[in-house]
Amino acid sequence: MYPKKGPSENLFSKKRRQCPFTAAGVKSIDYKDIETLSKFVTERGKILPRRITGVTFNNQRMLCVAIKRARHMGLLPFVGEE
Amino acid sequence: MAKKEKNHLYEGMYILSATLSDDARQKALDKITAGMTKRGGEVHKIFDQGRRKLAYEMEKRREGHYYLIYFSVPGNSMAEMWRDYHLNEDLIRFMTLRAEKVPEKIEFPTIVV
Repeated sequence: MYPKKGPSENLFSKKRRQCPFTAAGVKSIDYKDIETLSKFVTERGKILPRRITGVTFNNQRMLCVAIKRARHMGLLPFVGEE
Repeated sequence: MAKKEKNHLYEGMYILSATLSDDARQKALDKITAGMTKRGGEVHKIFDQGRRKLAYEMEKRREGHYYLIYFSVPGNSMAEMWRDYHLNEDLIRFMTLRAEKVPEKIEFPTIVV
C-alpha cells in the first residue's frame, strides 16, 4: 500500500471546500451582520460569485438578499472605492 | 363589518438624521413608536445602535443614527405607517421586515471563510 497523500501533496486533486455557512450551522443570514457580509463582497462592493467562495446555492441566495438589504440601509456600499 | 386583523411581529430599522439634537431625536423616535401604538400595535424592544457613517450619501447626509425596533401591529396598518414615514423628514431611511421572535441581544455567529 502506498502512504496516503495529504491534500497539499497531490497536485491534481481538486481542493474541496465546505460552505462557510453550512460549516457554522447557520440557518439564516441576517442583513445586520455586516462583519460577515463584507467578507463576501469585493472592495468595489460587488457580490462574490459562489464558485470563488464555495457557498451553497441556497445560502448564496440568502446571502444575496441580505447584502442587498444592507445596501439599502447604508450599511454596505453599492459602489466601493476604486 | 371590518374583520379584525391579527397583530404580526415586525422588525424595523430606522435611520434618523444625525444632525438632530438628543431631544429632537428622542421626539422623532417617539413619533415613530406613537404611530405603532396608535394603530393598536405594541412596541417590544428598541435597540439604539448609535451614530454610524452611511456607506453612501443619502439625502445629502453622510451620517445617521440607527435604531432597531421590534414591534407588532395589525398587518393592514403597515401601508399607513409607511406613508407617515415617507412624510417624516427626520427619518432618512427605514425598512420593516417580518420577524420570528424578539431577540435578547443582537449577535451573530462568526463565519470563517
